Amino acid sequence: MSYAYLFKYIIIGDTGVGKSCLLLQFTDKRFQPVHDLTIGVEFGARMITIDNKPIKLQIWDTAGQESFRSITRSYYRGAAGALLVYDITRRETFNHLASWLEDARQHANANMTIMLIGNKCDLAHRRAVSTEEGEQFAKEHGLIFMEASAKTAQNVEEAFIKTAATIYKKIQDGVFDVSNESYGIKVGYGGIPGPSGGRDGVASQSGGCCG
Amino acid sequence: MHETELHDLSDDADYAASQRQGSVSMQRSDSAKTSSSAEPEGAELVYVKDNVTIHPSQFAAERIGGRLMLIKQGACLLLTWIPYKGQHSKLSEKDRNLYTIRGVSFSDVRSIRRHTPTLGWQYIIVVMSTGLAYPPLYFYSGGVKEFLATIKQHVFIVRSADDANIFLVNDFQNPLQRTLSSLELPRAVVANGLSASTSISDPHPAENQPIDDGSVSGEVASLSLYNGRPRPKVHDPARDLSIQVLEKFSLVTRFARETTSQLLRESLNNGYGANERRDHSPHYHDYSYKPSTDPEKAPVEVPVVPDPLEFDKLSMVWGKPRQSPLGSGEWATFLDSEGRVIDSKALKKRIFYGGVEHRLRREVWALLLGYHAFDSTYAEREYLRSMKKLEYETIKHQWQSISAEQAKRFTKFRERKGLIDKDVVSEVWRDFSSIVAALLVKFDVFLTFYPSSILKVRTDRSLSFYEGDDNPNVNLLRDILLTYSFYNFDLGYCQGMSDLLSPILYVMEDESESFWCFVALMERLGPNFNRDQNGMHSQLFALSKLVELLDLPLHNYFKQNDCLNYFFCFRWLLIQFKREFEYEKVMSLWEVFWTHHLSEHLHLYVCVSILKRYRKKIMGEQMDFDTLLKFINELSGLIDLNTILRDAEALCICAGENGAACIPPGTPPSLPIESSLLYPQQDDVL
Ligand SMILES: Nc1nc2c(ncn2[C@@H]2O[C@H](COP(=O)(O)OP(=O)(O)OP(=O)(O)O)[C@@H](O)[C@H]2O)c(=O)[nH]1
Ligand SMILES: [Mg+2]
Repeated sequence: MSYAYLFKYIIIGDTGVGKSCLLLQFTDKRFQPVHDLTIGVEFGARMITIDNKPIKLQIWDTAGQESFRSITRSYYRGAAGALLVYDITRRETFNHLASWLEDARQHANANMTIMLIGNKCDLAHRRAVSTEEGEQFAKEHGLIFMEASAKTAQNVEEAFIKTAATIYKKIQDGVFDVSNESYGIKVGYGGIPGPSGGRDGVASQSGGCCG
Repeated sequence: MHETELHDLSDDADYAASQRQGSVSMQRSDSAKTSSSAEPEGAELVYVKDNVTIHPSQFAAERIGGRLMLIKQGACLLLTWIPYKGQHSKLSEKDRNLYTIRGVSFSDVRSIRRHTPTLGWQYIIVVMSTGLAYPPLYFYSGGVKEFLATIKQHVFIVRSADDANIFLVNDFQNPLQRTLSSLELPRAVVANGLSASTSISDPHPAENQPIDDGSVSGEVASLSLYNGRPRPKVHDPARDLSIQVLEKFSLVTRFARETTSQLLRESLNNGYGANERRDHSPHYHDYSYKPSTDPEKAPVEVPVVPDPLEFDKLSMVWGKPRQSPLGSGEWATFLDSEGRVIDSKALKKRIFYGGVEHRLRREVWALLLGYHAFDSTYAEREYLRSMKKLEYETIKHQWQSISAEQAKRFTKFRERKGLIDKDVVSEVWRDFSSIVAALLVKFDVFLTFYPSSILKVRTDRSLSFYEGDDNPNVNLLRDILLTYSFYNFDLGYCQGMSDLLSPILYVMEDESESFWCFVALMERLGPNFNRDQNGMHSQLFALSKLVELLDLPLHNYFKQNDCLNYFFCFRWLLIQFKREFEYEKVMSLWEVFWTHHLSEHLHLYVCVSILKRYRKKIMGEQMDFDTLLKFINELSGLIDLNTILRDAEALCICAGENGAACIPPGTPPSLPIESSLLYPQQDDVL
């Protein structure tokens, strides 16, 4: 299938926060209550449309376990976007965000767009991190923020697309040299690179925020 | 110290030039002798390097630092490595001294292999003409190049036609060397000027020189005692001991070499070698013409560099056809009346070529994994089973008895405990919450066994074994893993372990038996899960060396494309291809691995053979790191196991000792040297 752009995404965060489930929900629109734990990295891909342009997302779902970090770091290279995920019911996954961020800053390109996701927001009764804390962390570190649920699909679509829209806008603003693939962006055959002055038009179904 | 002239041996042109002047370099060593003869002792230290270290095992605490020296004595160049005194090594002074290299004469050295890993330190392996190899010497402070350049000034060395990282010291008459190189690329032979060097009639120039046995002072004096002569006659107990240690190191090497030379002889007799050569020659010319050097004409379709071993042909000739699995009737013939395995080597070989029928696995796996000894009787095994069951229950009880209330307060306890005993126990206390999180909260263990696609399609027993929401077998997996984390505090629990345990539980169908088989497996694969990933790194490193040895163009391709870390093979190695094949296939692959027939590291050759199968696609499509990683990931379920095993066998035999030399000692699944002493039944495995 032809695309205007291909964006490389990487999903990072502690083990068990639901990275693979988020990906599966986004690519297959289903939830698997018991998902394989990830060894190394797994892949998913989907086409989306932004500003009437077909954009292919190639998504790298990494293993969260600490001991795989040295390997995981090699996957950051050339990612245009990152979804940094924590589990709102497990405080420690939130506490580890800073170290994930440090990894990302160190091993990814500086213009990588990072979306912070507080996952499992369907489990509000077991919440251990408040929405405000998530927002606050995102603000401090210049990240986009959403709470989502891979189980109910709430905000999953939005999270992936909003990230893409942000990257797309950066391209329009000339932040990237799209011919340089180290930014995690490939120009496809169907795409006409160059500023078209377009705004980021997010094409997706609506989804309420959860809290 | 003698001022050495630095030669960059990695520069091929320079090196080829020096080859053409082979006689000159010998003259040079003569003149060096003349100048050094001005010294009364005739001994001169021409090279010294500190922080050259031996790694007797994978444990950092057992590393032995020392000083490497080259001593010129008369016409002899002697190699010496002395461990530092009073190190804080876990090994005793006596053990450390076993590794001492005392003035080994270069006339007894056959080759030196240089390793320049992308990760970690450079090291060399010195192989003697007897076939013995010294353990790798790691140059912590660099200096391998300088070391080789110094040798080159005094001794005649040439780069091997087989491998640019092997430097042959003396013997070009060695039949194996000749056979190997006759199968090799004409390109390589020409580039390295081997044809020129074979014309040199005297392979041991140093031996013809008069030996100065006169009075030598200081450290060097003791050297001449053993090595003043080309073949030392004097018996020194320390030296004999060190030779025993070395023999252990080189068992694999020697065995592999014998197999190789035998096979090569056979295949050459069949006229195979000649055909190979004829078939290859045109390709090499293609290769020497590098299409990529001309950007103007960059073709849309990138021509793939031919595989130097023309792999498909090799596998047809060498990879033996797979047999049917070992059945009960045949199995009975391997046992004596009391249940001992009469010839474990023959048994392993049989399993290597065909695996085992499923209903025999329970019995056979326990033996292959080393949980039961091959020479144990039925009764002994039964007894061990019952003893081990009690032991298992005891360990299991340790975590079972932690109440919910206790668990709540575990963090605090951990911190205190951590302060007291930071190095040993703290990690598991820290991990406890994550074990519970990973195993209790996150019940994803059981689905690790099947890619979801298989789950949907297959309805066989292997599936139902772990199926269902409250499946007792899933609980068993969790219990065993938790118990293991208490059994092995240092390692704890790490993701991927469940992948290794699941087939074992499936086969053993018993909690305690599964646990102990898992323990035996983790003896070997535990380092895969080390926090510092050293077990994985040494395998990835060995893999890169093997590809370099067995498929140089592919290696160069990976090098150009920044893929030399081989991270794309991470999953293959971490869980032994668990996620690459169907369940049944995984089991038969593992039992082949566990025979350690041909090599303990067959899995690395399996990696190479898969990469070789797909080399055309990888190189033809110019895959970059990302694409390659994705491609390799998606090979899961598509690889034909039997073909790959035959290829791997062929590659392993073909690589022979050169292959074995690519793999640093202690690389999983090798046992750490220490524990190999605890498991004598596995000695013949080495
Ligand atoms: N209730 C609920 N459970 C979720 C949600 N997302 C994931 N889970 C559960 O969390 C567990 C872990 O999810 P995974 O997607 O495998 O976690 P991961 O982040 O990929 O973990 P690693 O691969 O080990 O790094 C799964 O068993 C899911 O059932 C969610 O939105 N809501
Ligand atoms: Mg995952």
